[in-house]
Parts: sequence; structure tokens; C-alpha cells
Amino acid sequence: MAIRTNEAVADRGGIVPVGARVRPRRASLALRREGRLAYALLTPTLLVILFLVAYPFFTAIVMSLQNKMVGSPGRWIGLANYAELFHDEVFLRTAWNSVVYTVVAVALKFVLGLTMALILDQERRFNNFFRTLLFVPWAVPIVIVSLNWRWIYDDLSGFLNNFLITFHLTSNIISWLSDPGLAMACVIAVVVWAGTPLYSMTFLAGLQAIPRELYEAAEIDGASIVQQFFYVTVPRLRTIFLTTVMLSTIWTATNLQFVLILTHGGPANRTEIFPHLAYTTALGARRLGMGAAVSLVFFPILAVLILLLTRRMLRPSDD
Amino acid sequence: MRTVSGGRRALKWIGNTLLALMLVWTLVPFYWMIATSLKKDKEIYGFEATLVPRQPTLQNYVRLFDKTPFVKYLRNSTIVAVGNTLASLAFATLGAYALARLRFRGRGLIARGLVFTYLVPPALLFIPLFAVMSALRLVDTHHGLVLTYLSFTVPFCTWLLMGYFRSVPIELEEAALVDGCTRLGSLFRVILPMSLPALAVVAFFAFTQSWNEFLYANVFVNSVEVRTVTTGLTLFIVEDVFFWGPMMGASFLSALPPLLLYLVFQRWVVKGLTLGGVKG
Repeated sequence: MAIRTNEAVADRGGIVPVGARVRPRRASLALRREGRLAYALLTPTLLVILFLVAYPFFTAIVMSLQNKMVGSPGRWIGLANYAELFHDEVFLRTAWNSVVYTVVAVALKFVLGLTMALILDQERRFNNFFRTLLFVPWAVPIVIVSLNWRWIYDDLSGFLNNFLITFHLTSNIISWLSDPGLAMACVIAVVVWAGTPLYSMTFLAGLQAIPRELYEAAEIDGASIVQQFFYVTVPRLRTIFLTTVMLSTIWTATNLQFVLILTHGGPANRTEIFPHLAYTTALGARRLGMGAAVSLVFFPILAVLILLLTRRMLRPSDD
Repeated sequence: MRTVSGGRRALKWIGNTLLALMLVWTLVPFYWMIATSLKKDKEIYGFEATLVPRQPTLQNYVRLFDKTPFVKYLRNSTIVAVGNTLASLAFATLGAYALARLRFRGRGLIARGLVFTYLVPPALLFIPLFAVMSALRLVDTHHGLVLTYLSFTVPFCTWLLMGYFRSVPIELEEAALVDGCTRLGSLFRVILPMSLPALAVVAFFAFTQSWNEFLYANVFVNSVEVRTVTTGLTLFIVEDVFFWGPMMGASFLSALPPLLLYLVFQRWVVKGLTLGGVKG
């Protein structure tokens, strides 16, 4: 706060009382020197942002308006790529899949994550050990998670069918990832397995920051455990809920590794989601312009989340 | 009162049951990965497939090191992840100090830009970046990967360090400045020594994110000489028909570095995550 005030005073040099006239000039000299140092220190970071994020981002917009292919310059075609998309059945299917995939996965991660956090918040021996174990999936690279689960789902030799048959829970083999009715659910299960720890970690940190006195007070007032949860716990965790859900929505919706490794979008596009469609369009069909268009169609929704999150993430550290 | 404590006991019981279920759900995939890697092919495939390895063997690991480029992949991942971590640390330290402690026009804008940048998903950027990398002839190089990974590690590390630097008492720095220390001097002599845990956490995040990265590595690298483990693993599917044994061994070994680091850093990881870090 102190820094801000100084800045404001220095900027409006004229308002400073007459007696202090000399100070703002000296201050502004020092400020200018500080500014130069600041930009010198920030140069590498700014270069990274400009050349590796801003520039590619705007290039993506330009590309999406061209019929650019890999290895050849594109011709300007206006909104033709987008127009084609909205008449394309695969794309419409993909849009719907993406919504289902993201909403269901995020909802499940939320419920499981909160349950896990509440359980770990109970008093219990070896709790730290259990917590470490339950959070482990977070540290495993997603590619490895996906490969491992593809092997678990394997028709003939995978763990699931093996297990079900050994214990006589089914007599015929289930094709988990190639059954149109099952594939999406199976992919989502993997997403949830890998993503739940992020939720439980942040929720648990939030739970542990709630003063115990609040619960004691609520109990004295006769609040049941359920009431305590809804009137003490939930309001206290609201900000964490929001931040985590928004962050995770962005990462869930745009991660193509699960689908790429588990199903390639199949069977019959049942698990096709937009980042994977962008990937196959750009690199499989070599239509860079169209691929860029696919990934950008969903950007407006993401942009809203990103903007909200940006404000939120700067708030605690910026005051 | 009695109903409450009765409820407590019931809750405890429910909690323990759910905990057991969640442990099973979390750990079974790890069991299957390790068990598979220790089996002979006969136990992995077909009618004699087993749930528990009957004759555990390390032959899959031997095969992995003798007959596949796995060691090369590990080496490449290490080069890229370490290179990226060092560069991220350097860039982020300087940038975060400027944002945390210096007064200048555009500070708020840059801070917002950083967070925004971090949140723009790679899925939006890989297509134009592919064109950029081809034009700069950075496809199939280690430094090409290090460079592109900076796009997500630098913003995040800078932002995380910015928070830490602000929590270092300003009086300490003022004292150093009064004693004739320069701004950079106070960064290296006062702030950095006090932020060692923060630097460790930032290094941890940069290293794991680079090690685990897949999309850019997959798009910007084709040759075996540069390929990292995450993309190398997926190649086993094509290279060998009976690949699941070595593949699970490779998966286990490749997951070890981030896993071990997580075990060391877990207390601080949670703090980083609550601040909004890391994709999941």
C-alpha cells in the first residue's frame, strides 16, 4: 500500500505542498531510474510473453482466417473455416462431447475431491501417510496415467476384464474403450482419477484454515453436522471452490492427452473433444488454418474464465 | 448432546470406509503398472494372464535398457527439464523482484499479463508455435523445447516468486539500501537468501512441468535423438507388439523423478497449488 501512495504523490507532483516542492523532482528522477531497472529485469520475461504467447496467439487468429496447410503459405479466406465448422457434423458432435466431458469430469472431481478432503480433515492415525498416498496421482505425468489406464482397459489382458472374469462378475469380455456407449465414461474416469488430488489438496488446505472455534460455537447453538457443513464449511470455502473449479475447467477442457492416448476420439467420434480435433486437423490432415479455427472457436468461453481468474489470482498478493 | 456424539461416531465410520475405497481406487492402477512390469509375457497376455505375478522377473527392465532407446529418452528429458528449470529460475527471479519491489509505469498491467499468459492453454498455441518453430529451424532441438516450455514455466514461476518476495519484510531491504547496497545487491544478498524455500518450490514446479510435458514435445520433435520420455513412451505401442511389459516398466521409471520430488516437496506443493498453480 505504501508504495502505491508514493507513486500517486510522485505522479501528481503539483499537488504536493509548496514546502515539499523539491522532493517530487528528486523522487521522479529516482523513479525513472527505478523504472529503467525494472524493465531491464523484466526483459527476458517480457520477451517470453511476447514471442511465445502473444505472437503465436495472434498468429493463430490470422491463420484461422486462411486456408493454410503445412508447408504452404495460406490464402485469405475470411470466415470460411468457421462457416465450414458449423456445418460439419463431426465438429457439432465434438462441441457437444467437449461440454459433456468437461462438465461431468469437473463435477465428479469436485465431489470426489471435497469428499476426500473432508475425510482427510477428520482426526485419524497415519492421516499424513494416507494423504500422501491419495495425492500421488497428481505427480504422475498425464501421458503415463493414460497409458497405464489404456492397459487397465485392455480387452483381452487388461486388469478390469481380468479381474471381473477371475471373480466371475462377468462371463464375456467388455470392450471398455471401443464400446460407443462406454468409451466416454471410461475416458472421464481416467480424467477424474488424475485430477481429483488437485481438488482435495486445495480443499483440504482451505478446511484446515477454518478456526475450530467456529464449529464449537455452531455446535453450542445446536447446529447438526449437516448444518455445520452448509453454514460454516461451505461459506468459508467458497472462494477456493470458485478458483479451483475455474482453473480446472480450463485445464480439463483443453487437455488432449487423455483422449489422444486412450481412444483417439473414437469409437465413431464418441470421445472426440475440441483440442484433440484441432490436433488431428492441424497435424493429421495438415490443415493448420482449420486447426487454428477449431481451437479458437472455444476461446471466448475460456477467455471469460481466464479474465475472472486473473483478477482473482492477483487479488490476495496485490494488496 | 448424545445424538451429536453418536453422529460423530457414525461419521468417523463412514469416513474410514470411504477412505479405504479411495485408497483402493487410487492405488490399484499403480499396482497394475508395477505388477505388469514384473511379469513374463506369458503371464501378461492370453488365457494364462494373472492378477499377481507368479514368477516375478526383471526381464522387462533389461529389455527396456538393452533393446529400446529408453535411456536416450531419459537423457533428453533431463536435459530439457534441467535447462528449462535453470532458465525459468533466472528469468523469474529478476522479473519477480521488479514486480514486487520496484515502482514503475505498467507494473499492474504486466502482472495481469503474466497471469493471463499462464492461463492461456497450450492447446491454443501449439499450431502457430509449430509454424514459428519450423521457420526458426528449432524443430527437433533441445533448445527449441526448452524455449517453448518457458512459455508456461516463466509466467507461473514469476508470479509465485512475486508473492514470496513481497512477504520478505521491506525494512530489511531498506536497511541494506541505506547501507549503500544497490538494488540488485539487495536482491541477491537480502531477498534471495530469505527465499530459498520459495526458489526450491519454483524449481520443483518448473522441473515437473517440463518433465511431464507432452503436447509440445510431441509436435516439435520427431527424431529419437531429441525425443523426451513422455513422447518416447507412446512410441512403444508401434515399435513392438508385446510392448506392455517394458512399457509399464518404462512408465514406472519415468514417473519416478516427479514422484520422488513430490514426496520431498509435498508440504510446499500444497501452498503453491492453493495459490492457483499447476495444471490438473
